[in-house]
Amino acid sequence: MASPAEPIVRLEGVRHVYGPHGGKGVEALRGVSLAFYAGEHVAIIGPNGSGKSTLAKHLNALLLPTEGDVWVKGWNTRDPRHWRDVRSTVGMVFQNPDAQLVATVVEEDVAFGPENLGVPRDELRARVDWALDVVDMQAYRFRPPHLLSGGQKQRVAIAGVIAMRPQVLVLDEATAMLDPLGRRDVLRTVEHLNREAGMTIVAITHFMEEAALADRVVVMHAGQVVLDGPPREVFRQRERLQAWGLDVPHVTELAARLHALDPAFPPDVLSIEELVETACQVWAGQEKAL
Amino acid sequence: MDEFELLRYVTVGQYIPTGSLIHRLDPRFKLAAFAVLVGAVTFTGSYLGNAVLLVLIVGLVFLSRVPLRYVLSGLRPALPVLLLLAALQILLYTPDFTRGTNCTTLFQFWIIHSTTCGVKLAIVSAARFVELLMLTSLLTLTTTTTELTHGIERLFAPLQQRFNFPAHELALIVTITLRFVPTFAEELERIVKAQVSRGADLGQRGRLRFIQQTRALLPMLVPLFLGALRRAEELILAMEARCYMGGKGRTRLIELHSTRQDVVALFVAVLAAATVLLVPWPW
Repeated sequence: MASPAEPIVRLEGVRHVYGPHGGKGVEALRGVSLAFYAGEHVAIIGPNGSGKSTLAKHLNALLLPTEGDVWVKGWNTRDPRHWRDVRSTVGMVFQNPDAQLVATVVEEDVAFGPENLGVPRDELRARVDWALDVVDMQAYRFRPPHLLSGGQKQRVAIAGVIAMRPQVLVLDEATAMLDPLGRRDVLRTVEHLNREAGMTIVAITHFMEEAALADRVVVMHAGQVVLDGPPREVFRQRERLQAWGLDVPHVTELAARLHALDPAFPPDVLSIEELVETACQVWAGQEKAL
Repeated sequence: MDEFELLRYVTVGQYIPTGSLIHRLDPRFKLAAFAVLVGAVTFTGSYLGNAVLLVLIVGLVFLSRVPLRYVLSGLRPALPVLLLLAALQILLYTPDFTRGTNCTTLFQFWIIHSTTCGVKLAIVSAARFVELLMLTSLLTLTTTTTELTHGIERLFAPLQQRFNFPAHELALIVTITLRFVPTFAEELERIVKAQVSRGADLGQRGRLRFIQQTRALLPMLVPLFLGALRRAEELILAMEARCYMGGKGRTRLIELHSTRQDVVALFVAVLAAATVLLVPWPW
């Protein structure tokens, strides 16, 4: 474990250009410097094409920076000798649940990562059991993946990643293709991993409600980090976010509009529970609220 | 809308669990025994030898406790071809295929030349076909696809070490194929429905309309292939993210146990094959 002051993953002035080097490629990242610390739950939001997914793929050496460096626990991701360490430290779940399961049986898919790491068989068994327990998929361990729902497949994918015992879990829009129920189950699993297992979560998402659950929100725009802070502070900047083509959570939107009608109502509310509570406090005793 | 439910027809690995002795065999030994028996079927040209093999295979089917009709179910679609083949062999075959025996002409007219040898060939090849089909069905009905792939991988592992034979890669390819066949069936179903809902013509059904039907399939196949390629790229990324760097240094979750039973089973198969092949069957 890294000491609290030392980040697990650190990006320094990362630029990434897709396409021909030197020629006119697409510059997806234009100088990103960020640090992720142990136990954090970070959400990365940004409009399409802002470089979120490119950023994510830099965190475990799937992509290498054109300029700048990425350090994972002190390993530079440019060094192929450390890719195994880097990728087992930073696990990654992708968007499409159908394109990341390899095996024809759930438990063997979960074992794929640790098998690649050469984990001895007894421990392998224990890790698979543990991972399936965490994502609550024990009952499906002998099923073929194509008979599972999207949310279940995505939980199996998470199990396959955490069976490698990573310290950081990167979710690259892992809930984008799921129905609301599947999304809820996946988010619950992720919350659990963050709270109980102390796993660092970096979640790239289009859903602002999801971002509101994080401790920290990073906003990307045109390949750069434009905002970085606790969700309350970030979502307070409604106009700026909307200028970048981003929304705030519906609840925050509602609170902001209430604030416009009644300045006593705070504009930076993040959840429905909070909204109800605030409403009760602010308007307690008032006969006519609006 | 039945014609669009493609998934129903995808039957990879029709495993029928009965927990019999045959089911419980170590897949490595089962595959080896299977190969030995297939060899015996291929090289037996006599009536009696084939009869013995047929009895042996039916015996194995009873031992597996899989209903015989399941094992034979693959036979019906092949029947017309089988009959045509037999007819051609009987009517046209002349050279002596069982060397040393004399062929008597039964019937001769224009190019048709029917001999006893042709009749024998027809009967023996039909028997061989049935035997091979039963053997393959028996293997797939009693072995799960994962057992099969693990069996293939372990069986060829020594070859990988000695001659760099890609056993691990082969097994991985088979696994990924089996994993994605239902996914692609689902995708094709979606594409077909999308095209039909926009007025695509699936082509009139009927004889001698192959070209039209094939052409009607093209708008379905192109998106399917593009989707497959895109998915393959995503899969590679996902595998790399999970530290896949080839077969070296990997461990395995599934352990294969071989017992004395497996050795005995293989021994019996070899013995049976040797008997059938070496005994000079009178006819």
